Amino acid sequence: MSDHHAYDSAPGEGGDFGEHSVSESVRNYVIGLVLAAVLTVASFYVASGTALLYGPGVLMGLAALAIAQMGVHLVFFLHITTGADNTNNALALAFGGLIVGLVIAGSVWIMFHLNTNMALPGGMMDLHMQK
Amino acid sequence: MLGKLTWDAIPFNQPIPLVTSIVVIVVILSVLGLITVKGWWPYLWREWITSVDHKHIGVMYCLLGLVMLVRGFSDAIMMRMQQAFAFQSGGYLVPEHYDQIFSAHGTIMIFFVAMPFVIGLMNFAVPLQLGVRDVAFPTLNSVSFWLTASGVLLVNASLLIGEFSQAGWMGYPPLSELAFSPGVGVDYYLWSLQISGIGTLLTGVNFVTTILKIRAPGMIYMRMPVFCWTALAANLLIVAAFPVLTATFAMLLLDRYLGFHFFTTDMGGNAMMYVNLFWVWGHPEVYILVLPAFGVFSEVVSTFSGKPLYGYRSMVAATLAICILSFTVWLHHFFTMGAGANVNAVFGILSMIIGIPTGVKIFNWLFTMWGGRVRFETPMLWAIAFMFTFVIGGMTGVLLAVPPADFVLHNSLFLIAHFHNVIIGGVLFGVFAGYTYWFPKAFGFKLEKRFGTAAFWFWVTGFYVTFMPLYVVGLEGMTRRMQHYDVPEWRPWLLISAVGAVLVLCGILCQIAQIAVSIRERASLRDRTGDPWDGRTLEWMTASPPPAFNFAAMPDVTGEEAYWGIKQRAMARAELSPLPHYQAIEMPVNSPTGFVVAFFAVLTGFALIWHIWWMAAVGVAGAFATFVVFAWRDYDEYEVPAEEVARIDALRREAREDLVAGREPGIRLVRVVERDEPIARTPSHPEGGPAPKRIVTTYGFWVFLLSDFVMFSGFYSAYAVLSHSTAGGPGPLELFNLKTVAAETAFLLLSSFVCGLAMIAAGVRNMLWTQVGLLLTGLLGLGFLGLEVNEFAKMIAEGYGPDRSAFLSAFFALVGCHGMHVTIGLLWLGTMMAQYFTKGFRPGIIRRGLCFALFWHALDIIWVGIFTNVYLLGTLT
Repeated sequence: MSDHHAYDSAPGEGGDFGEHSVSESVRNYVIGLVLAAVLTVASFYVASGTALLYGPGVLMGLAALAIAQMGVHLVFFLHITTGADNTNNALALAFGGLIVGLVIAGSVWIMFHLNTNMALPGGMMDLHMQK
Repeated sequence: MLGKLTWDAIPFNQPIPLVTSIVVIVVILSVLGLITVKGWWPYLWREWITSVDHKHIGVMYCLLGLVMLVRGFSDAIMMRMQQAFAFQSGGYLVPEHYDQIFSAHGTIMIFFVAMPFVIGLMNFAVPLQLGVRDVAFPTLNSVSFWLTASGVLLVNASLLIGEFSQAGWMGYPPLSELAFSPGVGVDYYLWSLQISGIGTLLTGVNFVTTILKIRAPGMIYMRMPVFCWTALAANLLIVAAFPVLTATFAMLLLDRYLGFHFFTTDMGGNAMMYVNLFWVWGHPEVYILVLPAFGVFSEVVSTFSGKPLYGYRSMVAATLAICILSFTVWLHHFFTMGAGANVNAVFGILSMIIGIPTGVKIFNWLFTMWGGRVRFETPMLWAIAFMFTFVIGGMTGVLLAVPPADFVLHNSLFLIAHFHNVIIGGVLFGVFAGYTYWFPKAFGFKLEKRFGTAAFWFWVTGFYVTFMPLYVVGLEGMTRRMQHYDVPEWRPWLLISAVGAVLVLCGILCQIAQIAVSIRERASLRDRTGDPWDGRTLEWMTASPPPAFNFAAMPDVTGEEAYWGIKQRAMARAELSPLPHYQAIEMPVNSPTGFVVAFFAVLTGFALIWHIWWMAAVGVAGAFATFVVFAWRDYDEYEVPAEEVARIDALRREAREDLVAGREPGIRLVRVVERDEPIARTPSHPEGGPAPKRIVTTYGFWVFLLSDFVMFSGFYSAYAVLSHSTAGGPGPLELFNLKTVAAETAFLLLSSFVCGLAMIAAGVRNMLWTQVGLLLTGLLGLGFLGLEVNEFAKMIAEGYGPDRSAFLSAFFALVGCHGMHVTIGLLWLGTMMAQYFTKGFRPGIIRRGLCFALFWHALDIIWVGIFTNVYLLGTLT
């Protein structure tokens, strides 16, 4: 790949196209699959009400597992890395992640305050959110 | 057969829309007739309709914006006249009609005037300024334009066939819900904006990719003209914000068409969620419009002051700061919705903070002019008027950002005056400046100056006379959208305001006359040199109008203001740079794809508005088939031979020599005496120009995928808010079966894994294993889809469909949207396998394969979010 130093690599390309041997590439995907499967199973296990995790910590546990699994998919399947040849690809992802975070966190924050901060009698609350 | 469409749809009893439509139809028919008689169709088809040349597409966008400006302004002047007359009387417009007019005015001005104009300018100028030959995806660019035009056609069709929305340009529910707006008006609004929105999103992807991946050799980021920076920021915002609008409108459409309950007044729906999501898009949209205008002003002020832009780096920093900050202020559009002091305070402060980078920009422009030799050409006039006007608009904006003040002024005419102050004074003046500035580049002759100046003065005075009184009546308590009123104190102000609208009308008439006069006198307005304004950026280096390939040899950029440096060196040495070694140039071939897709899009949109289901199916199938045909083509480029390039460039160099030697009448170049004689640097560029196609394509697709994530975040936000609104029905705990979810996850994971293996096989060009891998990928994906369909069917059969509660609506929409993606992926996979089979490992097909893999793996990531947040969290005990 002659243009490797001048340009970022193409997102998703990482090694499937002649940089690594076939066995290396396959191994890469196998690792990804195993990690993803382990994390999925762990998520389902945590959610099933195991005593292993302190009750109120389950939420955080699930969040950590989900984010970890997303990371596994990004690295092993989409081949997005933090390498020097991936700056632009990772930056784009960071921007997307920032926006997704702002949209979800902002919406939830705003919408739940509509209910909690209104000093209205119970009946009128239905105007805002019906249960 | 024709759904809801009957003869009643034609407004025979309403003379205004009926007569207008008939006049417009007669005009259109006579134009078409003229084209036919003169035999212009082949030319139009070849050079414009099927053109993938960014310059032609840019011009068509601007033309669309101009035409729609007339339409939007007709609505505006009708509203001003209505309010001038309607004191203690009904005026001349019945409420139903008046409501349609203000809804159409806002919708058209934002989506079909400002957007096309801004996108048109970016289309025209960005590739030229970057010193390259085209955008990243030329055919997609044409698709974008034609989809925007489809939206325009639908909006205008509503004038004659049916009605337009009466729910305001924001289309707030519950008014826009089926229960309160049972007609087709809101459907016209929604479908035309959905269709043009797809076009806009594709533009965003296209330009982000172009600016980040396709630049002339040596054009590193910190050498890009500011207009390119603002275009980058605006397109990043398009990519990040438009998907949210698409998701929000999709929810409202689901409510209206399939009985969902996102925003309804019953079954747990929450209309506030629409308001929230609408402005998640809406505020960035303001900056999508104004940032490119800021870019235009930067170019114009610097050029006509004969100085480099003051504070280039701070300008870039301010642009990027605005790009991010614009996503953190959206609540200020609905302070009064009751989020309480904490939330309002945070968003109020953030809204004031965003004024700071904007202020930085204003000072930069002022300091650019300071000490410069300012030439008051028309674009510069617009820039100066902008600085005065925009500062006033900005000030009233900061005022409105104070929540207690907003409680008084919300939805008053003060607000109307404020946003017209920034949108007319910022966006529209910027667009007019850019239009006058780049017109000679596009057509080879300047716009006539007297009419231009007259238009300028009419517009500026017209603006002030129209909107300053609205600030006053706003403070006196007049709310927006009033069809009639009884307060005598308001009357004189509204009369003055109507006079202002007439002044603006004169401005528009001058602009139309300016075009006519300029064309007639084009011989005397001719720009022979390609550099009529003594410009500083690369677009002025090529001929006016530029050849299809823009630059005979790609410019070698060695510093900021690339062209200015080259020009100064040429003047210092009294000769042009040495003759380049001309090479053959590959250019993308024309394609009717955009036009044909747009045809099917209009068909689909119209059919959906009128509930003509068979026609909608035909439209969707037709659009899909068009893309398959496009993907199937064998040749996508043609070659301009080197001799032809040399011949075209010889003409340019001849004119150029006259320019540099000062022999061109009417142009006196500013000459800067440099302390050090600039050394002719040998081309040494570590950044080797445009990236290879493989990288460009996949990067573009990656950006598109990120926008897809943002769309999901819209659906997910709705789910997070509505998941407790079960309306007395079952909740997640009773409905979800984790065993099914586990099986679905297993299918999807394995499918992704096998897809990866197929890509490895494609990498080593092994056809058998590629096809086997893709087949397995598809089968596993089908397995996932089968399970999901089964799950949905069971729930619906038990009476727990999306119409049961807001929770179920949000659930079906979110998970169904993912399922829809899997379905699209499977269709794509099928066509790709057929392509591999018939054509083998062509580079184009390999590139699309890479994109498919990205898409397929990304669906896993979204699924991880869904199974965790929806299924696992929902069933936690």
